[in-house]
Amino acid sequence: MKRILVFISAFLILFSCDETPNKSNEINLYSQRHYKVDEQQYEAFEKQTGIKVNVVKANADELIERLKNEGKNSPADLFITVDAGKLQKAKDLDLLQKISSPIINQNIDADLKDVNGYWIPITYRARIIVYSKDRVNVEELSTYDNLSNEKWRNKVLVRSSSNAYNQALLSSIIANEGEESASNWANQLVKNFARDPKGNDRDQVKAIAAGQGDLAIVNSYYIGLLLSSENEEEIKAGNSVGVFFPNQGPDESGSHINVSGIGLAKNAPNKENAIKLMEFLTSESAQKTYTNTSYEYPANPNVEPNEIVKNWGAFKKDVLDLNQLGVFRNKAIEIFDKSDWK
Amino acid sequence: MEIIKKIVQLEHKRWVIGSSLIALILLLPVIFLFTNIFEIEQSSFVYLWKNLLLDYSFNTFYLISITSFFALLFGIFPAWYVSNYKFKFRVFYDIALFLPLAIPTYIMAFTYSDLLSYTGPLQSFFRNNYPDFSQILNNDYLQIEILGILLGLALYPYVYTASRVSFSLIGSTYINMSKNLGLSSTKLFFKVIIPLSKPAIFSGLFLVIMEVLNEYGAVKYFGVNTYTTGIFRAWFSMGNENTAIQLACLLIFVVFIILFIEKLSHKKSKFYYSTNSKIEKLSTPAKNKYIYIYTLCSLPFILGFLIPFFYILKNSINNIKNIDFSRLLELCINSLQVSTISTVLIIIIALLFLYVEKISKLKFSTFISQVTSLGYVIPGAVIGLGVILLFTKITMFNSFSLIGSFYVLIYAYVFRFLAVGKSPIKSSLEKQPESFDDTAKTLGLGPFKILQKIHFPINRLALITAFIVTFVDLLKELPITLILRPFNFDTLATQTYEFAIEEMMVESSSYSLAIILIGSVMLIFLKYIINKQINAS
Repeated sequence: MKRILVFISAFLILFSCDETPNKSNEINLYSQRHYKVDEQQYEAFEKQTGIKVNVVKANADELIERLKNEGKNSPADLFITVDAGKLQKAKDLDLLQKISSPIINQNIDADLKDVNGYWIPITYRARIIVYSKDRVNVEELSTYDNLSNEKWRNKVLVRSSSNAYNQALLSSIIANEGEESASNWANQLVKNFARDPKGNDRDQVKAIAAGQGDLAIVNSYYIGLLLSSENEEEIKAGNSVGVFFPNQGPDESGSHINVSGIGLAKNAPNKENAIKLMEFLTSESAQKTYTNTSYEYPANPNVEPNEIVKNWGAFKKDVLDLNQLGVFRNKAIEIFDKSDWK
Repeated sequence: MEIIKKIVQLEHKRWVIGSSLIALILLLPVIFLFTNIFEIEQSSFVYLWKNLLLDYSFNTFYLISITSFFALLFGIFPAWYVSNYKFKFRVFYDIALFLPLAIPTYIMAFTYSDLLSYTGPLQSFFRNNYPDFSQILNNDYLQIEILGILLGLALYPYVYTASRVSFSLIGSTYINMSKNLGLSSTKLFFKVIIPLSKPAIFSGLFLVIMEVLNEYGAVKYFGVNTYTTGIFRAWFSMGNENTAIQLACLLIFVVFIILFIEKLSHKKSKFYYSTNSKIEKLSTPAKNKYIYIYTLCSLPFILGFLIPFFYILKNSINNIKNIDFSRLLELCINSLQVSTISTVLIIIIALLFLYVEKISKLKFSTFISQVTSLGYVIPGAVIGLGVILLFTKITMFNSFSLIGSFYVLIYAYVFRFLAVGKSPIKSSLEKQPESFDDTAKTLGLGPFKILQKIHFPINRLALITAFIVTFVDLLKELPITLILRPFNFDTLATQTYEFAIEEMMVESSSYSLAIILIGSVMLIFLKYIINKQINAS
């Protein structure tokens, strides 16, 4: 028994030597993004500036809780998400501070900017409709609202309402058309579901290829990822569907978009370095890297989207203030629960 | 005053007080969580009741039932065959049947859904070669029933291990007596062996159920809404802590019911494995029995291990030019390090609780010991948040800035996985007749010496089993590591998961392969030791 105790104390002592980040030339990120491309970007930044990038990766809501509880002692400099709603939530909880940098300002598209200046976009994506090229006449597609039409009974595929992308979409509908109209839409759409919501966005496309449904609501870049897959069958599945940007009519809102963005933590200990990283990530070279590996749309208007994405053509974006996606989040989930959208 | 008097008079008061204090420290995050945000808010309860509760409850219980059924099916029969019969490859099966434990539930689910998906190898092959036949395979496989089977495959080794140990310890006296009374081998199995092993089987099944209740990644992917996904949704997406807490209470209530049933089953069958009857010699099965034996022993191993293992192996080999080996090595070391330290701590603390429960014979100690098992049923992320709240809100802790350090990560691990380490030790301690302790006491040994000289050596087998299952569980742990880990700290599990949720199964394969290989080696090695001990005793 004594030996074991000695053993443990030895372990504990060993552990007390663990590295505590030293405060000088580094930057600490709390990030929801965990793609290979992000590591590439940080490495390039380290090489260019000599500033070490430390990352904690987790779900956005969990990171918000962590930031909230750590308060003034938080080591975080930047909070990176794939949903503007979460940035708004963080701002609302007083976890962010204003970002001012003329370089960033120049780098990013005016349409995508946060009106209050608390976060910046790095990329954006559209939530689009994909349809079976064999079974659906594209002329019949028009808006998100149209998907709730009776003619699509048992034809529509979409993932769970726990998913942030669906929550953001419904939030945008609430913001644009009001709660009642959004609630009706969800209630009617559920009746058109081909199956209970499940899987991720790519699974919805595969389900169209498999004939389990004809239409799906997915994020644009997933189609790019399928079409550039190493698995031939995935490319086939990607090619079996057509891309349709909804709400393009003259009186319509435009297709729903969302950003992947960065907020500057309120108590960022390495603020200068943090701003340098944001400037770097919105620069043309970094933006090219993003769009060519993840098939998202670049936030920098001087950079063209990847070839595959460009082939779908230009589209009208919903210009709704993206902070509204966070404002209506709870309402959206409530509507989902009541409509039995699982 | 009465209480203080009682405490002073207590025989093993230092042990009782010491263990209670440790229990209190372990439970702090949960206590803090509940006192901090528990306000009865009627509106949120009405909302929960009206919209979600029925669906969540149905899914949770349905999933538990399916998983339990398959875990018992895949666990008990092979355990009986391996313990009782002589057949070719018996030793191989004994080890092989253990191995699915090395595969995390989420990897099992992601791998199979990839394998079975429309663009996966199976359907693609038939579509391109036998188009007529392929229509039969073209199904939606993301179903709750399929998920139940997959979880059953990933978790049945808990039942297998527990029943295997129990079956091989049932003395020949019982078996011979039953045979003399004219019981057929089927009757013997159902009328004698199963009832005698019920506590052991149940302790294995308990772990299975807890894993199902805590499962998040696979359940979410399959679109099955359980209490756990509900907690996440209410808390994180809606920021509605009230609803989350109410669901967590329900979850804990469910666990208490299960614990209560376990207790009942224990009480009914108070049975000590006889100390001096020799273990039954392996018998040769009747000819027609071989087919059952081989089918029931092969099926769980092939489905639960071979197929996912080879699929992941194939992916890794295809992707070999892209594997970053230095990163792989780094993550292996990280995983091994945190798992080892935490496991050792867990075993020591588990042994302490159980021993105090045994020597003090106090209801209070039993209660304390059981309450600390609660960690196992609380979703990892909720524990993570409780820990963060605790270490940041209480100013005393705050000055050390412990969050993001390994201490806190390990602390959360210990609380979460104590029940896993406790379960095998518990069933082993219960098997020992009280006479051991009494004799030792009469010989003048103190409680510490009894532990050291008697319980440590006799329960070595159980301690080793506890070590394996805890270690392998920690190797697979995900949500706590995700939320509490220090900067730039990844484990094999977090890296696997990050790729898998981005649908990059190929990229994730080398990391999941490492988890499976390390887990398998541990399991094989320790299984070898266990078998040696079973044979030696």
